[in-house]
Amino acid sequence: MIDNIIHAAVVMTTPVLLAALGGLINRVGGLVNIGLDSMMLAGALFGLIVASMTGSWPVALLAAAAAGGVVGLAMSLAVTRLQANEIIVGLGFLVAVAGLVRFFLSVAYGSSGTLSLPDVARLPRIDIPVVADIPVLGAILSGHDPLTWAAWAMVPVTVWFLARTRLGLRLRAVGAAPQAARALGLNPLMLRDLSTVYAGIMSGLAGASLSIGVVGIFNEGITAGRGFIALAAFYFGRNRPWATAACALLFGFFDAFQIRMQGRGVPAELVQTLPYAMVIVVLTAVALAARRAKARRA
Amino acid sequence: MSGQAVATTPAGRSAFLGMLEPLGPLVAAFVVAGLVLLAAGHNPLEVYGLLATEAFGSSRRIAATLSAATPLILTGLATAVAFRAGAFNVGVEGCIFVGGLAAATVGFTFAGLPAALLLPLALLAGVVVGSLWMLTPGVLKARLDVDEVVSTLMLNFIAISLTAWLVNGPLLAPGSANSATPMIADAARLPKLMPPSTLNAGFLIAIALLGLYALWGSRTALGFETRLAGMNPRFAIASGIDVPMLVIKMMLLSGAIGGLAGGIHALGNVGRFVAGFSPGYGFTGIAVALLGRGSALGIFLAALLFGALANAGATIQFFSDVPIEIVDILQGTVMVFAVAQLGRLIVRRRRAA
Repeated sequence: MIDNIIHAAVVMTTPVLLAALGGLINRVGGLVNIGLDSMMLAGALFGLIVASMTGSWPVALLAAAAAGGVVGLAMSLAVTRLQANEIIVGLGFLVAVAGLVRFFLSVAYGSSGTLSLPDVARLPRIDIPVVADIPVLGAILSGHDPLTWAAWAMVPVTVWFLARTRLGLRLRAVGAAPQAARALGLNPLMLRDLSTVYAGIMSGLAGASLSIGVVGIFNEGITAGRGFIALAAFYFGRNRPWATAACALLFGFFDAFQIRMQGRGVPAELVQTLPYAMVIVVLTAVALAARRAKARRA
Repeated sequence: MSGQAVATTPAGRSAFLGMLEPLGPLVAAFVVAGLVLLAAGHNPLEVYGLLATEAFGSSRRIAATLSAATPLILTGLATAVAFRAGAFNVGVEGCIFVGGLAAATVGFTFAGLPAALLLPLALLAGVVVGSLWMLTPGVLKARLDVDEVVSTLMLNFIAISLTAWLVNGPLLAPGSANSATPMIADAARLPKLMPPSTLNAGFLIAIALLGLYALWGSRTALGFETRLAGMNPRFAIASGIDVPMLVIKMMLLSGAIGGLAGGIHALGNVGRFVAGFSPGYGFTGIAVALLGRGSALGIFLAALLFGALANAGATIQFFSDVPIEIVDILQGTVMVFAVAQLGRLIVRRRRAA
């Protein structure tokens, strides 16, 4: 029972973590990405289609990453080159991409919102011998797909990237002070575009982890607002990768818990509101703490 | 120097550009959607022509378009009033859900009351609940500077799940399998204006509110203060306006109008509250407010456009193979281009040449 929940929690954390790490980089670069969900949707769809066409999951992941990256690039260009408000552009992309996806499904497959394809190459599960039989630890470490491992590996990589690499430092400079960064000879727009494309790639992979990792089919509601949960995770984590990952894990647990509680008298709808309510509570707590700190200084 | 002054006065020029401005995003969005249609093997001009005839071709169709525009006028207005005070409320969708449920609940609970009492009471319930729904993000924004975009966005998901739970459990119609409340009493129904069509008195309420909004913005002190606070909060504070209080007031007003939109949808169209109550009226309202540039006439025209698209999109599916999703693509692209500086595209090309 507890092993099942832990295992499901790790599985449900993967898409949120991937998208959140992408959104984190994007936000460090100065762009709050409301449209992560649309990039996840694109990745989930193209991941599944290519997984069915080629029968190869690595190729499918590449396709999902590319699909997410293209949506990210289009969004970024609207924000950086046409100076559009990032929040509204993000919302616009949510509406437009959801429409595009349904339009495409209906034109190309004659289907309304759901796509089930033959011979889909699913993400393989990596079972670790011996460890798999240990309670709790086995559920945490064994039986997960490569994307889950990649997502967690990206946490320290992101820390290192932001703190130690030239590109990471430049990105932070661009996010913190675009004018100063320009004076130093950096190209803020280009760097910001890069960070949005990266967010798109990560979100595309997040989508693929749902479509060819978890369920094996595509549905127009497959992301179920997880792009917003990812947004909440990096907002919470205040741009720190480990804190963001901890939040993603917490949401993963909520997700797994909610699935387990279905049919046990606890209304799933109410459990579903918890992560969103927590976002508001934590934002409030952070603001209160900031005000108290300011009052102490004064 | 003099030539510049003679050619166009800045004021005259900006007024002229102001009129043309919303057309740019529209044209851009229709071009993008046209490319999508072309790629799918449809003739975009034919599809757009079909949409236009379906939306405005007869009085019956015009009535249906006005009916589809009604919730969009209200959600556009709800977004615009908050926007005016500098608060970016993306939570109108949530207000529709809680307001719609509140209005429907009053509508089937107090079925014994006469229409003259029940109808206003049900609408009032939607207004009050919608307004209260925006109290938390309003206060948090005004007092603690908590990002209202995130808080109102999250509240949308909470509202949708919360109402879904209520209509699955406590408020589920007896004997009903799907997630819906009982039907409202006939006395709670908004009267229809042109009986076969769904156009109802809610449209008149929406138009009246638009008129009030125009007067409020140009004739009242609060309307002026709100605009000042939205354009330059620091100057507004310096001139003695209590900006945080203003933000709370405008968020409450925004929620009230959003709740009213839900109430009108419940009492005028659906006749009860069902899960998945709003097909994104709140989000389309953002596009409406943006495209309308916050003016009453602009909001009306933009709501009419999206209402026409939604109405015609639904019917052309019957006798052509054009998927209705083209409407969503148009809405989304309009939103994107409505905030984009389209002039930059031309400027850059000229510089490159």
